[in-house]
Amino acid sequence: MKRTAVYPFTAIVGQEDMKMALILNVINPALGGVLIKGEKGTAKSTAVRALAELLPAMHAVHGCRFNCDPHNPNLFCDDCAKNHTSGAELYVEDIAMRVVELPVSATEDRVVGTLDIEHAIKHGEKKFEAGILAQANRNILYVDEINLLDDHVVDVLLDAAAMGINTVEREGVSYSHPARFVLVGTMNPEEGDIRPQLLDRFGLSVVVTGEHDPAQRVEVIKRRLAYEDDADKFIAGFTEEQQALADKITQAREVLANVTISDELLETVAKLAVELGVDGHRADITVIKTALTLAAFNGHQEVELEDVKVAAKLVLPHRMRRRPFEEGQLDWNKVEAFLGQEA
Amino acid sequence: MLLHAVYPFTAVVGQQQAKRALLIALVNHHAGGLLIGGRKGTAKTTLVRAAQELLSPRKIVDLPLNVTEDMLFGSIDIEYAVSKGERRFLPGILGRANGNALYIDEANLLRQELLTAVLDANTAGFNHVERDGISFTHEVSYTVIGTMNPEEGILPSHILDRFGMYVDVQGEMEPADRVEIIKRALAYGKDIGEFRKQYAESVEELRAQVQAAKETLPQVEVTEAMMQLAAQMCAQAFCAGHRAEIYLLEAARAIAALAKRTYILPQDMQEAAVYVLPHRMRTPPEQQEMEEQEEEQEERDENQEPQENEDDAPQNPDELPPPPPQPDDEDDDGSDEDPDENKEQDEKEQEQQDSSQLAPEEQIADIDRTFKIPKLVLDMGKNNTLRRGSGKRSATKTDLKQGRYVRAELPKSKVEDLAFDATIRAAAPYQKMREANGCALNIQKEDLRQKVREKRIGNTFLFAVDASGSMGARERMRAVKGAIFYMLQDAYQKRDRVGMIGFRRQQAEVLLPITRSVDLAQKCLAEMPTGGKTPLADGLATSLLTLAKLNKKDSELEPILVLVTDGRANAVEGNEDPVASAIKMAEKIRKAKITSVVIDTESDFIKLGVAKKVAQAMGASYYSLRQLSKEQILRIVRNLGE
Repeated sequence: MKRTAVYPFTAIVGQEDMKMALILNVINPALGGVLIKGEKGTAKSTAVRALAELLPAMHAVHGCRFNCDPHNPNLFCDDCAKNHTSGAELYVEDIAMRVVELPVSATEDRVVGTLDIEHAIKHGEKKFEAGILAQANRNILYVDEINLLDDHVVDVLLDAAAMGINTVEREGVSYSHPARFVLVGTMNPEEGDIRPQLLDRFGLSVVVTGEHDPAQRVEVIKRRLAYEDDADKFIAGFTEEQQALADKITQAREVLANVTISDELLETVAKLAVELGVDGHRADITVIKTALTLAAFNGHQEVELEDVKVAAKLVLPHRMRRRPFEEGQLDWNKVEAFLGQEA
Repeated sequence: MLLHAVYPFTAVVGQQQAKRALLIALVNHHAGGLLIGGRKGTAKTTLVRAAQELLSPRKIVDLPLNVTEDMLFGSIDIEYAVSKGERRFLPGILGRANGNALYIDEANLLRQELLTAVLDANTAGFNHVERDGISFTHEVSYTVIGTMNPEEGILPSHILDRFGMYVDVQGEMEPADRVEIIKRALAYGKDIGEFRKQYAESVEELRAQVQAAKETLPQVEVTEAMMQLAAQMCAQAFCAGHRAEIYLLEAARAIAALAKRTYILPQDMQEAAVYVLPHRMRTPPEQQEMEEQEEEQEERDENQEPQENEDDAPQNPDELPPPPPQPDDEDDDGSDEDPDENKEQDEKEQEQQDSSQLAPEEQIADIDRTFKIPKLVLDMGKNNTLRRGSGKRSATKTDLKQGRYVRAELPKSKVEDLAFDATIRAAAPYQKMREANGCALNIQKEDLRQKVREKRIGNTFLFAVDASGSMGARERMRAVKGAIFYMLQDAYQKRDRVGMIGFRRQQAEVLLPITRSVDLAQKCLAEMPTGGKTPLADGLATSLLTLAKLNKKDSELEPILVLVTDGRANAVEGNEDPVASAIKMAEKIRKAKITSVVIDTESDFIKLGVAKKVAQAMGASYYSLRQLSKEQILRIVRNLGE
């Protein structure tokens, strides 16, 4: 099948928060993904699919169905671990990070994996057939309309996301494998809620709205028409911008490990989390990780207060403690005032 | 699996109680296992995973939510059957957990019959399997460790009671601790191997301590005095049953063993009580009358054990920790609202006064969240027809190829949803006798098995609310909104679908089409203005129309109509009698076989009783708002759903 043309990421007009959140997750997959909330027709899916073009290449163990990282034996799957300890050489290959889609209608056995029926019938042996979570390891797992996902599929997703391991005990097979993925979900809030537990698994969240500036809207239309008229030509027009962004991402990935943050800023974030009464510790940890990643993207060596502010805006809104119906609104003025006075 | 990536136990900041309880559970499996409750992101799962290193060489066996029954209990060994033509038992998770720890993440989301079976087998000491032509019994003994987030639903008290210990974890609140947590998380993320090295020594020390305690354990004696103390403590906490004493003593033995002692001190018992008693504490008898309603609700949880030790019960114990959330009582206490909520309410009242842009006869009542008032139980027969949909309210068999595959059965007609694994299991023992066909398995028609799937479905609630002027009088609307608010809250947890129709002035209006967004319904409710006449007949007609549309689209979702009105119908098209036309419409609803409830808000001195007549015509259950407490309102909805 010929790969259909993809609308270039850099050609998307506006929606800066969403683009930034996606880029940050590509730079640092440990951020925990992003939830994109917005009405229909706000380029949510376009952006996620376009992201695929910008994904950097990564090293993987050749032939491993979970794309194990040859440089991180701590996270090897059973096969790679066995080969590693027995001293067999693991061949390294370069593969591109991918966007793996989980359709809303997916059944549980396809998501977690199941018994390989063909193998069982042909050979009378049990073998594990990997599912979507296996493909998603070290990749991006994209769920469109995540709020419409069946409850029991959400359960298994939570299970895997919690520890980065997918444990399968079904249909005659017992197997577990690494499943560390960047979870990207999109939803239209008009169509129903998302469970708080699942919400918390997302590192970042952004709300997208249609552009209101008429000039911007006109630009959206123009680009869309140009794309539909001649996709190849349109894509060619953005080659340079795409390459520039891809390079910037690669660069940020390299410097990320060396970015530092001061103890004062760490404390500020911890105090902010207490002040806002968020649940658990994921909020503070994610704000810091996001701020570090932002600094890396901007080419800075050390995190600045501004990075923390931007990070807080992406991390905190969906984590405000809420009972059903309590407005889970983040009082941004309060956050700004707090950060201002602490700084 | 991935043992080299485990976050070290000793690197977890704080959470002393949970850590301590885990050690006790690992040292002594007679202490009845441990359930850890806590909100998201409080290191519950991390802790349990980390405990793996302390347990070595024993293991923590995972029980994932996607488990199928054959894998849990064990079944026929296919490979052996194919090659030898004999049936042999292949142990499942329970077999593998024997002598080890069994970990259930999100225990409250596991199917309850499975959870009960897992806990029961452990209590009984054996697992008895009758399936796939195999009859087998084997001994089991494992430590059950569960974690759960109470926001996702709470376990019924009879299941809670089977866990020896319960710990509630919370996030650390000291900024310095939080900073430390962040730093460690970053360090772990940067280089797992290096991070683990730093803690390797302390983890090994702790492992040795657990190991030594296990060896000491058999020598730790339980004296008569300690038994007396245990009985006394349990009596003080009004614990039901006698499990509590046993768990208390066993936990205290583990504590003594961890301290390298062979005798139990009273302080061991006190520490044990912190973990063993919180989830079994009952209300003392004198308070019980007041909380009769809660008790009533708990009765629905079958297997409720009788109250004991009630009479000789002395004062409340003073040093016992607060009990964990009990089933159902989260919503029962109207007074525990946080100040913010009240503030919000005040603001709404303010808004209400400021709402001068509304027509003079209109007003918007706020929601009375402190609404309180007696009892009723609505009897709904069980409905076992096949349904479709998604939600949590009722577990139901589904005929779609969706839902969780729970077991396999012999097909009754043409097989559409083949259970491959069960089919292979059925065929395996006969392979020696069958002709070779090039494959290892020759499958015949009689081997075919079909999947039984189960899915929890939510109900659909359509609220038809009378918003006429007469409803606006005397705070009535406020009480009505309060009542609906509680139904919505319940619907949110159960993931029901809701819709709302308001009727006032000349006609009814669909304020909110059926949606899964309970949030929207809540907003819609808060903003609903009142004023004008009561077009009751039109309200009913619109409800019927809305439900009929729904029925065509999704015929298996059982819709429930909740009509809230004072029955003072006075608006109708043409010159028919408003009451008569309302009753006519109500009869149509009954003919459409729509399950319905009427909540009568009439509270005037002279009652016309129209709502009751309408309810009769509709075949609806009838309640008068004045007699309803919010608990009962919840019960109406819950009973309807079950």
